[in-house]
Amino acid sequence: MTQFLSYAIPGLPYGCVFALMAVGLVLTYQTSGVFNLAYGAQAYASALIFYVGVNAGWPSWAAFIVAVLVAAPLLGLAMDRFLYRFIRSAPVLVKLVSALGMLIAIPSALQLIFGGQQRLAPPSLWLPPGSVYFHVAGDAINGTELSTVIVTMAVVLLASLMSHFTQIGLRMRAMAESPRMVQLAGINSELVGVAIWVLSSFLAGLAGVLLAPLFADLEAMNFTDLLVAAIAAAALGSLTSLPLAFWGGIGLGVVQELLGGYLPSGSVLSSGLRPALPFVVLIVLLLALPGLRERWFHDDPLAACDPPPPPMATTIGGYGFGGALLGARWALLVVFFLSCMTWVPGNWTFTLTQGLAYSIIFLSIVLLTGMSGQISLCQASFAGIGAFTCAQLAGHFGVSVLLGILAGGALAGLVGVVVALPALRLGGLALALATLAFGLLADNVGFQFSWSGNGDSGVSVPRPQLGSLEFTSGKVFFVLAFFVLGACAMVVLAVRRGTTGRELAAMRGSDLAAQSIGMNLARLKITVFAVAAALAGVGGALYGSLQGTVGPDDFNSLLSLVFMVVVVTTGVYTVEGAIEAGMAYVILYQLLDYLPSQWRNLFPILFGIGAVTYALHPEGLVEWQKRRAIEIVLAWRKHPQAVG
Amino acid sequence: MALLEARGITKRFGGIVALDDVSLLLERGEAVALVGPNGAGKTTLFDCLNGVRHFDIGELFFAGRRVDHMPAYKRARLGMGRTFQRLELFAGLTAREHLMVAERVHRAEGRLWKDLLGRAKANVPVERVEALLTDLGLKDVADDPIESLSQGHGRLVELGRALVQDPSLVLLDEPSSGLDTRETAEFASVLIELRQRGNTAILLVEHDLDLVRRVVERIYVLDFGRLIAAGPVEEVLSDPAVRLAYLGDIA
Repeated sequence: MTQFLSYAIPGLPYGCVFALMAVGLVLTYQTSGVFNLAYGAQAYASALIFYVGVNAGWPSWAAFIVAVLVAAPLLGLAMDRFLYRFIRSAPVLVKLVSALGMLIAIPSALQLIFGGQQRLAPPSLWLPPGSVYFHVAGDAINGTELSTVIVTMAVVLLASLMSHFTQIGLRMRAMAESPRMVQLAGINSELVGVAIWVLSSFLAGLAGVLLAPLFADLEAMNFTDLLVAAIAAAALGSLTSLPLAFWGGIGLGVVQELLGGYLPSGSVLSSGLRPALPFVVLIVLLLALPGLRERWFHDDPLAACDPPPPPMATTIGGYGFGGALLGARWALLVVFFLSCMTWVPGNWTFTLTQGLAYSIIFLSIVLLTGMSGQISLCQASFAGIGAFTCAQLAGHFGVSVLLGILAGGALAGLVGVVVALPALRLGGLALALATLAFGLLADNVGFQFSWSGNGDSGVSVPRPQLGSLEFTSGKVFFVLAFFVLGACAMVVLAVRRGTTGRELAAMRGSDLAAQSIGMNLARLKITVFAVAAALAGVGGALYGSLQGTVGPDDFNSLLSLVFMVVVVTTGVYTVEGAIEAGMAYVILYQLLDYLPSQWRNLFPILFGIGAVTYALHPEGLVEWQKRRAIEIVLAWRKHPQAVG
Repeated sequence: MALLEARGITKRFGGIVALDDVSLLLERGEAVALVGPNGAGKTTLFDCLNGVRHFDIGELFFAGRRVDHMPAYKRARLGMGRTFQRLELFAGLTAREHLMVAERVHRAEGRLWKDLLGRAKANVPVERVEALLTDLGLKDVADDPIESLSQGHGRLVELGRALVQDPSLVLLDEPSSGLDTRETAEFASVLIELRQRGNTAILLVEHDLDLVRRVVERIYVLDFGRLIAAGPVEEVLSDPAVRLAYLGDIA
């Protein structure tokens, strides 16, 4: 028993932080329907401001007031007023993509303002971390742990007092039940909604400041992991129950430390499973609770009274411009190819070849998100599976790299099937969460073994060889990548133009009706998911072979999120969109290299904000502009005098 | 054997009993209506019949097979089509494409490998589709984006999408809601013609009793999840209990 307690008690502070986050997530999800993926980023914002404040010599109470009582609520207020209130009735995909944009943009914006240097030893909020206050079951309780638990308990006590004994609290609870009902009762639900966003953002800020000292340095990625822990805790409460989410968070923190204590130390299980616990819990919950879906999606008794989401702002699909435009595209392609073969300097050829490889990965997002309306947040992990498979096959078994690239694609496709299966019945949000969890699991565990990504040292992927033809020189490899991309683009185009494309459009349009005309949606979804994963795998393997050495960091989950945001910003409905996205991604990166290092953060900010425009321009900003240009030309051809 | 037979179907949502021991029978080619006040459970019953929702207790037979645990898509392939009270259209496709997708699924033409080998011809006009578009009066709007069509045209597209699969039964969920008088009349004539051909049985949920009288011969009345009456149209509609539950008067 003493041993049990001595393992369990250090988990309490973690549990408290998870619980705060879970409660905040459930609050906003229930009341606005937005699953706030940017929640971890909000926590990071307050933690960073607190850190900067304290290091500038402010007393910690002043830094706390600025970071948690001012900045955090303002951030929540801004997100609600400038973004989320406009997309309350939008489809799940739009909400997720917008939140994703914020998740990418906020940390980068902060680093642009405050600098991106490493920040060691985050300060403790209240009691000095060094001093030990007392011992429980042999555990020394230090200041950080004690203050985390005390502050959480105080905040939760205050919040529940407020929610039970004040008018705004009552209204918030009513909003959590049914926003529509609250409106019908004559209450200004917008105002209550604002209050909820402010409160939830405050909780995120508080959790961020409390959590920061538990890590060695202050890093945005830690807060994404924190987000997944909070999601798992919230899922324990079916994303609807605040008390269950709270106790789920505490439980998760405790179990995490218990596992660390009881599992043999030094084994892969203890080093891997312990940090991965939230992801495992989340995936198991998705698998084991078939009732989760009904509770997730039919929570508001009056939800059916909402008008159906407005149609996307644009019709998707081609417009016959005739041969001229097609000719222009081919001409552009030929010019691009010949330029890279002749006058383009070597380092730029390398960059553009990277762009080709990324374009293949991005094609998978076009197929999955643009064409079939599903969202996957682990495409970079599939790319990693492709690359590592190719590397291991070539390194250990002497398999030809070209075959290895194909095998990498095939294995990624297989893993895709396994990932998609559990989340299949649950639809948009669950698939997004499951893939996010899978990606983080791959980062922390899957890619750390010597037989997979080999952790920090990475693995080497040789350049391919075909008979006597070696693809070692930059230009020859460019040709290979060019044609592999061509083949992959043909696959996606064939799917799009064929019956499957129509079926995908039907599925995206209406799940119910698609089933009712006899479409086997489960099979269709798995097929598409597998093909997309395979494309990503091929792209990743090609990228690996280009780089020579790749490791888990080349394919981490943060990149998955960035990929998604980049493609959505550029153009997620068309094959051209994927290629433009691939090229924009590498070219912008290369250009930002010429600027001071801090300005590199501009890149995620630009694309993050771009993703937020998804609600307005689902076809992507670049595609939108292209379309406008084409429309102007078409109008001019019809009526030359009408357009000045 | 009857085309569709439901025995004692019961569906609960938490504490609410949405369907309580509902049994009904439909012969081949027959047209039957299901009426009842809002919230009586009509759409829930449709969802259970067509398989997008599962019921808790009961047995369901369709086309000579027990289909309780059969997923919705398999029931559709057995010949059960349906339309929806709240339009469920495929955003981004045209009216013609709606029918083409359904037609191709019906012929089991959709195969990924065929697309990859360039074997599937998604754009070849199909005789059956064109004929149906003409019958339903959708020819003029067949190539417009579906978002630009009126509610009435949307309902016709849903009907066409079901009929193109030559179903032996169509479930029509309030086809006249949101339609004006002229559109309702047009819709009725389409249904009457469908009935006269006799290949397709119709189960019609409808509040417009004129439409019901013109199309069907038998009627079921559902109230608070229970069947309270069944039989020939005029007989049932003059039943005092039905008038109380449904029309709200006993005059």
